[in-house]
Amino acid sequence: MPLDTSTYGLALLRVDGRRWNELRRIHGQIRTQAAADGSSYLEMGHTKVMCVVTGPSEPGPRRGGAAGGASGGAGSGGQSKDAEVVVNIVIAGFSSVDRKRRGRGDKRTLEMQFTLSNTLAATLHTHLFPHSQINISLHVLSQDGSLLAALINAATLACVDAGIPMTDYVTACTAGSTSTYAANDEGADPLLDLNHQEEQELPGLTVATLGESDKVVALVCESRVQISRLEGMLAVGVDGCKQVREILDQVIKAQGRKMILEGTVDKGTGLNDMDLD
Amino acid sequence: MTTTERPLVLPGDPISPDLIPSSTSKPLRLGPGLRHVPPSDIVPVVAGQLITNHQKNSMWVEYNSNRYIPAPGDLIIAQILRSGPDLYFTSISPYTPPATLPHLSFESATKKTRPQLAPGALVYARVVLANKHMDPEIECVSQSTGKSDGLGELKGGMVFDVSLQFARRLLMAKSKEEGKVEVLELLGGEGLAFEIAVGRNGKVWVGGEDVKAIVVVGRTLRETDEGGLGVEAQRKLVRRLAKGMK
Amino acid sequence: MPREAEPSLNEKQFVLQALHDSVRLDGRELEQYRPLELTFGDQYGVADVTLGKTRVLAKASAELTVPYADRPLDGIFNIATELSPMTSPAFEVNRPTETEVLISRLLEKTVRRSGALDTESLCLVAGQKCWSIRVDVHVLSHDGNLIDAACFAVVAALRHFRKPDTSMEGGVLTVYTPAEREPVPLSWLHSPFCVTWSFFGEEGDVAVLDATWMEEQVRSGSCTISLNKHGEICQIAKLGGVPVEAVSLLQCTNVALVKAKDMSSKLDRWLAEDARRRDKGGLLAELSAENDRVPDM
Repeated sequence: MPLDTSTYGLALLRVDGRRWNELRRIHGQIRTQAAADGSSYLEMGHTKVMCVVTGPSEPGPRRGGAAGGASGGAGSGGQSKDAEVVVNIVIAGFSSVDRKRRGRGDKRTLEMQFTLSNTLAATLHTHLFPHSQINISLHVLSQDGSLLAALINAATLACVDAGIPMTDYVTACTAGSTSTYAANDEGADPLLDLNHQEEQELPGLTVATLGESDKVVALVCESRVQISRLEGMLAVGVDGCKQVREILDQVIKAQGRKMILEGTVDKGTGLNDMDLD
Repeated sequence: MTTTERPLVLPGDPISPDLIPSSTSKPLRLGPGLRHVPPSDIVPVVAGQLITNHQKNSMWVEYNSNRYIPAPGDLIIAQILRSGPDLYFTSISPYTPPATLPHLSFESATKKTRPQLAPGALVYARVVLANKHMDPEIECVSQSTGKSDGLGELKGGMVFDVSLQFARRLLMAKSKEEGKVEVLELLGGEGLAFEIAVGRNGKVWVGGEDVKAIVVVGRTLRETDEGGLGVEAQRKLVRRLAKGMK
Repeated sequence: MPREAEPSLNEKQFVLQALHDSVRLDGRELEQYRPLELTFGDQYGVADVTLGKTRVLAKASAELTVPYADRPLDGIFNIATELSPMTSPAFEVNRPTETEVLISRLLEKTVRRSGALDTESLCLVAGQKCWSIRVDVHVLSHDGNLIDAACFAVVAALRHFRKPDTSMEGGVLTVYTPAEREPVPLSWLHSPFCVTWSFFGEEGDVAVLDATWMEEQVRSGSCTISLNKHGEICQIAKLGGVPVEAVSLLQCTNVALVKAKDMSSKLDRWLAEDARRRDKGGLLAELSAENDRVPDM
């Protein structure tokens, strides 16, 4: 391994100089694409994703049989009248260090599409749009760890921008632990928001929560870790999600403020009490 | 009992002439599983027990299959798939073409007062039309009297899947003697309160107030069916399950 | 593609109502598994697992091949999952459904990525020859909880499997037939097992283990946890669905550990029984020892 994280114990600083409970810089923008119903751009450190939402609209021809092929869908057809959330993820070839082409049928991408679609279906009020489809397409421009978390956050921002009713923000972040799986050392610190290098070397998990609650919508752990480590990692992750929620909230509010000042939207009655600095 | 002997037949087996009822007053009626090859041969086309009824001058093969083939007059439990302009599309068994249920085939239904059934609702219905190459049609009203006769939407309760043969046995007029099933009477004897509707398409609907009672009825039916239990074993099973409930 | 038959509204409501009253249709407790059965085939590496009415068959096989160029020191290990129309008319051949992709990903993460099989031991000549181990998972009948059954079958098949013995002498690689030398087991490091929780209701407050197909159709979320008996988590997958309190997820993990230990000891027992059955009268050990001492017999 070219670099390793074993120096953590000396200065309690991680490879990129953060402390254990620090997030990387999160920069978000909404309404980036004029043509889309909702769009967003999100950077979590060097992980950069774009999201475009179209819909709710009439389902396209890919519904039913063909939809199972390339896109994750939830709540489709049959007796249920809920809108279907169709997610499509494109990972750009230049997004990671080694240029690797992933085909459309890549199982990892399919799994992420399924996760996103089910995560969003749990919070979006899909029952308000019977027999329709919400298309979410995500483009990964650069990868530096916490990819799934960034995708979930970007999709949340774009859904807010598209004005799709939802219960609360779904925010996600990653958490890790400085212990390796074999060592059962009690002194291991949990870590917040892993970058690519940490993700490769340390056990970690991605957690997505609903709003400010402790309710976990998605939890994905792909590495071997002692069961005793889980509690600490989960606590740090859930706490990180709350921080992320604050940041996303700022992004949305800033955009709203801008739009009112620009006169793009009327300052409605309900907005009178909104604090325009 | 008019049926004395029940020989097992395989498709294509010759049937000995003394098994064929020979009443001269009525024409011979062939039921499911038998085929008439002119001029005078009768050949079974499925494997099962050959049953002859001398009074009605009829014979058929009693067999168990997994696929329900609709026949006119059968009582079935159907599931509403969607509503069309003047009829419901319903599913009698999975992966088969839908059966149609006209909106007006309910008791005292008119264009304005027809029952509103959501997709996924269940109805107890009778098969009216069942032709080859055509979607079957079902109804929830007796055409002659205009009464529902117990047919119609099934509210609440639970549906259990049983084999087609077991459903037929449950529906027999003398289910205890001919069908060798006594579970329903036994369950009632244990003090369980429930309603039941048996569909010939292998579905049994059980309704009632008590969730536990419904589960016990369902488990009894399933275990009796899957284990092929005799009357004595059925008694034991009912006693065991009813005891477990309390 | 024929759509999977959906349960009626009555059934959905009843199952949910019953689960809220802690009653399951088959009379089980909420955290109780259906009877788990395992039969080994006549050949090494065939495991047939039944879990209630769910039945999964896994077969392990080995083949000599060339290692991947970027990993010259590792052998090859693959898990192939097959959901055929035999399972349900809703599955089609050669068109992976979402379920199939998820199952194969979960098995991959649970067994392969967690390093259960030591792939380095499969390498015979660096960069030139290695074993390729392949497990084919066939789902024979589907009554819910495919993942747990499939994972158990894969682990059982791999632990039961014996690959032909080899030797290297003066740069010559010899592969022995079973008649010449008794085949050897794989170098197995730990046995992970999947435990799947299903959550019901709007709030996800009812958690159930080993859901049947009917229950799976009405559940509002699920969480698969893979663990080995040493208390190591190999993988957790709660891919969306109903939000669940973080604390209850931790509790679920602890119960899952108990179940995983239980499965682990069951598998150990069955493997030992099978070994006794194959080794009639302890003759096998004697024979192989004899062959070693008198090579040119």
